[in-house]
Amino acid sequence: MKFWLTIFSILFFYIQVKPQSNVNPNISLIGTFNTQTFLGKDVIDKGKLIFNSPELELFIDDYLNPYARGTVDISFEDGIFGVEELYVSIVRGLPLDIQIKAGKYLVGFGKLNQVHAHAWPFINRPLFHQIYFGSEGFNDIGFNFSFILPTESFYSSLDLGIFKGDAISKTEVADPDNSDMVNNWRGTNPIFVGRLVSFFTLSDYANIEVGLNASYGVHAKSENYIKPGFELGLADNTLNYFYGGLDFKYKYRPNQYTALTIQGGGLLNHRDALGIYTSTGFPPNILNQNSINTFGGYLYLDYAFKKQFSVGVKYDYTDGIIGDNPSFYSLSNDNQNHTQGISGWFGFYPVEHTLIFRLGVQHLSFTTKLGRIKKESETSITLKMIFSLGPHKAHPF
Amino acid sequence: MKKILTIILVLLSSLTFAKINVVTTTTIIYDLVKNIGKDEVNIVYLCRGNQDPHFLEVLPSYMLKLRKADLVFKVGLGLEKWLPQLIDGSRNTDIKEIDLSKEIQKLEVPTKRLNASYGDIHPYGNPHYYLAPNQVKIMLTEILDALISEDPDKADYFTKNYEKYVKKLDSKIIDWKNKMKTAESKPVVFFHASWIYFSTEFNLNIKGYVEPKPGIPPSPSHNAKTIRLVKKLGIKLIVMENYYDDSAPNQIAEITGVKVLKVPVGIWGMEGINSYFDMMDYIVNNITANI
Ligand SMILES: [Zn+2]
Repeated sequence: MKFWLTIFSILFFYIQVKPQSNVNPNISLIGTFNTQTFLGKDVIDKGKLIFNSPELELFIDDYLNPYARGTVDISFEDGIFGVEELYVSIVRGLPLDIQIKAGKYLVGFGKLNQVHAHAWPFINRPLFHQIYFGSEGFNDIGFNFSFILPTESFYSSLDLGIFKGDAISKTEVADPDNSDMVNNWRGTNPIFVGRLVSFFTLSDYANIEVGLNASYGVHAKSENYIKPGFELGLADNTLNYFYGGLDFKYKYRPNQYTALTIQGGGLLNHRDALGIYTSTGFPPNILNQNSINTFGGYLYLDYAFKKQFSVGVKYDYTDGIIGDNPSFYSLSNDNQNHTQGISGWFGFYPVEHTLIFRLGVQHLSFTTKLGRIKKESETSITLKMIFSLGPHKAHPF
Repeated sequence: MKKILTIILVLLSSLTFAKINVVTTTTIIYDLVKNIGKDEVNIVYLCRGNQDPHFLEVLPSYMLKLRKADLVFKVGLGLEKWLPQLIDGSRNTDIKEIDLSKEIQKLEVPTKRLNASYGDIHPYGNPHYYLAPNQVKIMLTEILDALISEDPDKADYFTKNYEKYVKKLDSKIIDWKNKMKTAESKPVVFFHASWIYFSTEFNLNIKGYVEPKPGIPPSPSHNAKTIRLVKKLGIKLIVMENYYDDSAPNQIAEITGVKVLKVPVGIWGMEGINSYFDMMDYIVNNITANI
């Protein structure tokens, strides 16, 4: 009896200890530290060196079982913890080889949006993201169903998703950080997102990925717009939007020390907007529902050389004025004004991606119409340091 | 009726004579599997012979290659950090992963808890055993076993091919060992820590590496150390994989007069290298000629 007890305890001990010592989830810690200065005619504290408080992101990610992975991304910014991402991906075992992703995560509208900002080669988020998705990009809660398409000679996949829609509302809710307000904005109307992506091998050293993106849904209930002092014109109960997008990424990598990346993307915004439309000649305090079409996009080129350095330039155009407060006539609802940006950067990667220094400059210029006060152009210079603790990761395309 | 019968026969034959779909992570494994599986395997590799298998980009085109695979052969020991992501992306539920390091006598297995200051690309021991021909014999047995268990009907065919290849390899090993006698115990510096199995087998005396730690780029202070080492011991040769940047070794060579030898460590890693034998011939001949 004692013998069996001993065997049993050894076995039990083994079963307990073995998985714990061998099966640890991947834990990574990303620290970011920004030092910035802003230049421009109207800039407050012009030329003053601003030391932003460091930001921290903690990633935990691993297989939950042979079929699914779990990912958590917790951020610490300005003294506040936030759940940036928390999702489960079922990667295999489903009929038709579907993969399902459920939870809160960066939505697949364009390749760049799915990549964490610290992994971009440049510093400043594309301007159109800020106009159409909010300052944190298209990050939402929902389900995504991914299908691999039966194309034999090249890889292609189709993603269809249904999401809560917070990111869409954040660009027009007066206080985007107030989650109750954001929650009420669209009522219970979800939004839909689709992405069709194809990957082509051009040569041993060059590849290109092309994506077509679409998102559709209700961006607001019209009662949101009934404000004191305004009369509602011809608004429906719900205001719809459609985002159509195209994006591509080309990479030429002749060896492991050199890479030329050209990436770009754009978004066409068609939506029911409310505005003070004076073209009818009627009193200007009547809000009318109207369809507007606006656009935003970016294009950048990054050249990485000698494994440790990179230089690049980026051009941005978007309708709407960067820095405007969200409202029913600004940002994604603005078809009158636009912003252009040009930026350049130099990166230094001493050892892989464990430590990154990046110096960048961005110049924004604004074009305003309809008697709006002209906004002066502004320039920002940023020195960014990123460190990454954790296991070595595979390099994505 | 005859037509239907033909169709059934064709279907049946395609079932019985279906080839094994194989993906290998490197070209060396490709060459070995090809020599055992011959016409009974459909085979592709992921990492080209002139690419560093430590750092392969996760390309969707690789997922497509893995999509229909029955078997994927890998070096293991953490070399292919990119493989799980590729297999997930392929959505292939039936794929079997064959880790060829299973029976290898592992060298340089870390004894203490690793931290990244040691470099983190050899976390489970040195994965470059495929540069030692006697380790390749262990790999060949694993490959044979995997192919047979995938298609037991062709066991005889695979075994015959295996025996033929091992016989040739054995005679090549004698040949290489004879040649390498001139290099025995001679001090040598390598670029990356991928030559421990090779040096153990051929009694080479590794004195140092141009990389301060596996995967960590050469630094000026480490270069200075290597220069002192080369001068002090009268080292004649720095050997490096041809896909690494040779600027640091060349700098060392300029100051010390040491010879920098760039060798292919993959099939088709250099013009004229079409097999494992070609590759090892090149490495052995050039080391012995220059040491
Ligand atoms: Zn290595």
